[in-house]
Amino acid sequence: MWLSSVFLKTLRDYRIAILGWGIGMGLVVVSPMASVSTLITTPEAREQLASLAANFAWNADVVAVTTIGGYATWKIGVFIFLIAIWPLLAGSRMLRGEEDRGSLDVLLSLPRPRMRVAVEKLAAMWTALLAMGLLIGLVVFAGGRKFGGEFGLGDALLFGLNLALVCAVFGSLALLISQFTQERGPAAGWTAGLLLLFIVLDMVRRVVSNSEWISRVSPIYYYNLSKPLVPGYGVNAGAMVFLLALAVLLGGAAVWLFARRDVGGTVPLPRWLRLPERTASRALPVRDWSLRSVYARGLGMIAMPTLWWTLGIAGFAGWMVFVVQLMEERLSSLLSSSPTMIDLIKNLGGGDAGVNAGFLSAMFFFLPLFLMAFAVTQVNGWSADEQDGRLELVLAAPQRRTWVLLGRFAALGTATVVIAVITLLASAAAAAAAGLNLDSGNLAAATLGMIPLGLLVAAIGYLAAGWLRTAADTGLLSFVLAAWFFISFIGPELSWPDSTLRLSAFYYYGTPLLHGLQLTSVLSVLGVTALALGVGTLRFSRKDIGV
Amino acid sequence: MAAIIEAEGLTKSYGSKRGIADVSFQVEEGEVFGFLGPNGAGKTTTIRLLMALLRADSGSGRIAGLDCWERSLEIKRLVGYMPGEPALDPNLTGGQILEYFAHLRGGVDQAYLKQLIKRFDLDTSRKFRQYSTGNKRKVVLIQAFMHRPRLLILDEPTSGLDPLNQQEFDHMVKEARDEGRTVFLSSHVLSEVEKTCTRVGIIRDGSLVRIGDVAEVKAIKRYEITITFANPISAETFKTVEGVIEAEALNHGHGVRLAMQGPADAVIKAAARYPVVSLTSYEPSLEDIFLRYYEANGQPAKEAGHVA
Repeated sequence: MWLSSVFLKTLRDYRIAILGWGIGMGLVVVSPMASVSTLITTPEAREQLASLAANFAWNADVVAVTTIGGYATWKIGVFIFLIAIWPLLAGSRMLRGEEDRGSLDVLLSLPRPRMRVAVEKLAAMWTALLAMGLLIGLVVFAGGRKFGGEFGLGDALLFGLNLALVCAVFGSLALLISQFTQERGPAAGWTAGLLLLFIVLDMVRRVVSNSEWISRVSPIYYYNLSKPLVPGYGVNAGAMVFLLALAVLLGGAAVWLFARRDVGGTVPLPRWLRLPERTASRALPVRDWSLRSVYARGLGMIAMPTLWWTLGIAGFAGWMVFVVQLMEERLSSLLSSSPTMIDLIKNLGGGDAGVNAGFLSAMFFFLPLFLMAFAVTQVNGWSADEQDGRLELVLAAPQRRTWVLLGRFAALGTATVVIAVITLLASAAAAAAAGLNLDSGNLAAATLGMIPLGLLVAAIGYLAAGWLRTAADTGLLSFVLAAWFFISFIGPELSWPDSTLRLSAFYYYGTPLLHGLQLTSVLSVLGVTALALGVGTLRFSRKDIGV
Repeated sequence: MAAIIEAEGLTKSYGSKRGIADVSFQVEEGEVFGFLGPNGAGKTTTIRLLMALLRADSGSGRIAGLDCWERSLEIKRLVGYMPGEPALDPNLTGGQILEYFAHLRGGVDQAYLKQLIKRFDLDTSRKFRQYSTGNKRKVVLIQAFMHRPRLLILDEPTSGLDPLNQQEFDHMVKEARDEGRTVFLSSHVLSEVEKTCTRVGIIRDGSLVRIGDVAEVKAIKRYEITITFANPISAETFKTVEGVIEAEALNHGHGVRLAMQGPADAVIKAAARYPVVSLTSYEPSLEDIFLRYYEANGQPAKEAGHVA
């Protein structure tokens, strides 16, 4: 049945993503509900929380943040970027990815109009997004029940639908852009860039007064007009219809262009929009450093993603360091009236330190999470190389399998070190600029201390790649990462035993911004990393390649 | 001459799926050996076992006396390998790919590399993803030859190459043979094997069904002779003649088509008793021999085995 049409076959291809992304993103929305449910027990605490949230108004509209649904809506503000990643990737690879693989030639040789093939594929992506929205809605509803949310099942489903609609816009945008690019990577990159731009444009109205007209350009603005989880706020039907119309318009334009262009070619851009053509050299790149070894090649492959992740992680750390001083007064007030908030800061940030350091420490908890997510994406590349046969010739060269694996691992390790060091420098520079006095040793421990966690995830990924195919390996790593995050984020709130908390890698990161480097913990993580890498290397050196 | 490749009872399965079973053969140093078989017969599995990309369930493979699995690193220094389905980094140019593998191998003569690029007229400035199938194969072919290996293991090397480049490939194989190097190539293009190889092995359903000189394989051929006579002659006359398997009358008895195996001497002598207008013998290509091993009834040829 699932192979009886292009629509069903494409939907079948999305089945793991629907489950994984739907439930995973649902849990992302639920996680702040868990923390806020115990945070808003007194009127004073609620007032202070609202006051604190106002300092982060750039992130999202501050509406009823002292309610479970309102807090979750506010908290996931810029996380829309995370949620939109899947449709962005799916849209960019829907047609262009198949063209890259050459499989579209076969599909289009069937007696079926090209337009119909594209429409069926697009419809499958939208259906997948609706299914994800449904799952997100159900998980959010369950989370609301658990933590005392004030919204009903209908509200939760509308929340999922609103997410699905904005995701459909960016999936369709990626599909449209992919008609102009030769490869799917640039299409995904351009769409991600536009997504970021639209998020920032939506922020403008919250930071600069009388600038709402600028934000109206952004689809995120229309997404944010609906807040079904906020009691009494509801949805803006016009905004939702607008998002739907925009998705249809963008998707329709993409399909229309696809039906008229060469397969494997691109829609020609106007001359003034084209990049200047580079004169390709036929000379052999004898001096190219990135071709000198497996390690160097690994660095070359990872350079561009490393740059973007560095900007994101270092930017986040620098920004948090910079703004924490500005919020000190309100944070102090909130902490003094809310023992629960103190607990939260303690759980994440640790200790009984001052406001700034404690809050910053809690925010720095996210740094290793981001670095580990980076490691997951790069392990995916290693696994895909083997699965797609790209290691075959490398292993036919006189290179030991062990060194091939270790070379690639070392390149990833180097990237994690670069990200951590630049994060350290950005944080130190931000602290100096803001006049914030941070212990330089602890700051170094907080930033460089995430390196072992990045390496741990990479090592586990390399180990699992010895048995699992790419999708399963990436899925497993993502699940492990989400589980660790949940254990450390929610576990202390629920008073889980220490033995359970120790199962999370974040436990061993500790609170270095306050307490410096915990050598035993770092050595433990490095020990497990070495073990995983050792077993992974042994497995790789003995396994059948590409089977 | 000593054997450079020795396979002894090589067996590999993929779970419940068949790979190869008990494959044994030897390839002498300096010869060009053709490895024939249809898709899925086990050619690539055998080659990947020799290249230590797979580990044999049982049996052993040796190259230059070294165990393929245990001493794979030393073996790879001796070997130039071309996989059947080249997959390389799509974002690297042809030039970058060749330089990368030149670095991984070490000691590649840049002048010789440029010469190979020129011979195949390869545009090295394009990204691998932008190459046509033929050009992708050229890149992989050049990387297999560029370090002048003692042994070339090539999995369906000319698939996708245009006739001019196939000709260039034939020249390169001949040059390699003249220089005393060994070529092991798999193919299902029989004319190619006939043209370039000195010996051939035929693999079917994971088992080696025949191995021998190209000429010897052809000698066990079933071939045809068509004789036209001035007067009608009964086909029955030839049915009992030595070497005749089948006899069929043509042109109302004025001719006969004989399916033959073995020497034609007895048939020639029998035909000489009548006035012969013409006699033609149809020389089978390896294609015909090959097809015979894969007849629809699935029975292996009764004479299968080592003839060398």
